[in-house]
Amino acid sequence: MATKESLTEAIAVAGSPASGGIEKKKFSPLLWIAENGVIVFTIALILFAVIFVNGFASLPNITDVFYRAAPIGIVAVGMTFVVISANYLDLSVVAQVATAAVIMIGISNEYGLLAGFAVATLVAMLYGIVNGVAVGFFKANAVIVTLSTTFIGLGVLRWLSGGSIFFGPEDGPIRAFGQASLGPVPASALLLIVITVILWFVLNRTTFGFAVRAYGSNKEATRLAGVNTTLVVIGAFVITALAAMIGGFALAAFSNTAVSSMSDGYEFRALAAIIIGGTSVFGGKGSVLRTLLGVIFVSVLTNILVLSGIGFGFQQMAIGALIVVAVSVDALARRAAKK
Amino acid sequence: MSQQTDTPQGGGAPEATPQTMQLGAARGGFLSQLRVTLARRTEGRGLALLTVVVIAAAILEPVVFTSYQVTLGRVALIGLVALGLTAVILMGELDLSVASTLAVSGVVMASIPDIWLGVLAALATGLIIGAINAFFVVVVGINSFIATLGMLFALRGLAFVLSDEEPVRLSNIDAGIAFGTPLLGPLTPRVLLFIAAFIALQIFLSRVKAGREFYAVGGNRQAAMDAGIPVRRRIFTGFMISGFVAALAGVINTLERTAADPTAGSTVLLASFAAAIIGGVLLNGGRGSVLGTLIGALALGILQVSLTLSGVQVDIQDIFIGVILLLAVITDPANLRAALAGVRSSFRSREKAQTPV
Repeated sequence: MATKESLTEAIAVAGSPASGGIEKKKFSPLLWIAENGVIVFTIALILFAVIFVNGFASLPNITDVFYRAAPIGIVAVGMTFVVISANYLDLSVVAQVATAAVIMIGISNEYGLLAGFAVATLVAMLYGIVNGVAVGFFKANAVIVTLSTTFIGLGVLRWLSGGSIFFGPEDGPIRAFGQASLGPVPASALLLIVITVILWFVLNRTTFGFAVRAYGSNKEATRLAGVNTTLVVIGAFVITALAAMIGGFALAAFSNTAVSSMSDGYEFRALAAIIIGGTSVFGGKGSVLRTLLGVIFVSVLTNILVLSGIGFGFQQMAIGALIVVAVSVDALARRAAKK
Repeated sequence: MSQQTDTPQGGGAPEATPQTMQLGAARGGFLSQLRVTLARRTEGRGLALLTVVVIAAAILEPVVFTSYQVTLGRVALIGLVALGLTAVILMGELDLSVASTLAVSGVVMASIPDIWLGVLAALATGLIIGAINAFFVVVVGINSFIATLGMLFALRGLAFVLSDEEPVRLSNIDAGIAFGTPLLGPLTPRVLLFIAAFIALQIFLSRVKAGREFYAVGGNRQAAMDAGIPVRRRIFTGFMISGFVAALAGVINTLERTAADPTAGSTVLLASFAAAIIGGVLLNGGRGSVLGTLIGALALGILQVSLTLSGVQVDIQDIFIGVILLLAVITDPANLRAALAGVRSSFRSREKAQTPV
């Protein structure tokens, strides 16, 4: 693989000016909202919650928000790679998280924690490689590919686990991790921060990360620059899968149980967090730090809805609407910026 | 793909449909004409799967064919949703929200005591959902994959809200039973509805100008626009067709079960995508046929029913259909060509690297 500097040059030469890879910044309020609005929205939402929502500004509730945000957050920062590489999203994270959780608890109960981690890692690699090869090598549509791997994965999981709930031992290491905390911040939230920092480094400071961003903004130019684009796509899906595996661990540790339906809706929540964070579904632009902010936004919003006694159906409508509105703002901003 | 400007429909838009392309090549005698015709067909993979499924079912579970009422009912449900998808995919767009459209329209229908009023309301719901999808794709300019994915989740929520998270019983159960009895020969109303929808869409896409323009929109959108085809209006039509037939499938499903389940549709989503794609509808748009979708729906319907009759659990059925969809999208001719080209170019560049400059 070429070095980063030569890659920049090659892509600058090969890329058309309209590709959005390297362009002059012109101030547009809509674009600013699409990219940085999440900071304002998150602060506004938290202020709103503190003032108007009963029970939000209490230590147990804040800890609860952290607990619920951590697994989704880990999944979302990983999936940011797939979104930046202009492959829409990885729907199969919903199956990956549940599979990892069931494997961690189920296999760790029988053969110990290390075996659980080893099997979960292998399965995650398998997910990443199958999705990555189908999308990167066969150039198949990522939504359809990951839709089918979701059904395959959940089918296998339900079949093998019989849909039963797995309980971890009360004195096991997973339970210990789930209960550990630093003041009001649970260990899983710290894990989220560690993962975010690692993935920030991979995305912003390595040639691979640069190739992912370059591929997202201009696939053809990146290929012409001599990058093995198939490997870039596989890499993006493998990182997503590994993050989903760790997210599954955090989720299993939270309740010390695992069941095949435990991650329902994760793919949509993670996508909402990524898009509201300002990572563009058109690819090329975005960062894991933005996704972290998006996760805080989505988690606080969900918490407000739950505290206000708003049902599961309305929560789904809110998340779905959030995805559509956030993408709309991004699309309109980009069109306005091009004019 | 994000921006289309509506050009006014100038007089005499040329018909840039695949049918016209055949004319030039058809002069070289019958055999070469046959070859050209066969090369143009997109149903090959669907036909292969149907053959395999039919042979396997005939050997392992022949009950599928004697209890054809059940099988045809399943084919009708999968096929209806797949027909709508075909219209949308032909234009290079995608409608993932069909599963939730099916659920929402079913709940809407069951919540209204009067059966006919309920059916009308359900179908109207489908049209409205299609229009909303098209609005986001055409006017706002969002990629349809993401827009309809958001709608999939939002509408699933709506189905839960409208139904109070519980299946809604149909107040008029007699209508449901009447709907399940054969009407014309051995054919039940739901199968007849599917056949009617199939014929209507087949005529629309091959004989009506607006329908034939769907191919042009999917094949080369810029060229279609330059040729004076109202691209935005065609995409609106496509999404509304998709919403309408998904709602029709919701109505049929509700009548069949005499209750509307807010979680309905998730398995239908996968099977109908598989039916359309294995039936040869190219995901990039511009190629495919309603006949291929019918073949795909037949194959998947027979597969699902024979698996169910053999006592295979739903989880394993999901695995089967998931694998078929994965293989279908990978063996999509355009994708295979891209993969081969990738391999070839990487070999070529390696050769070049070895020769000294």
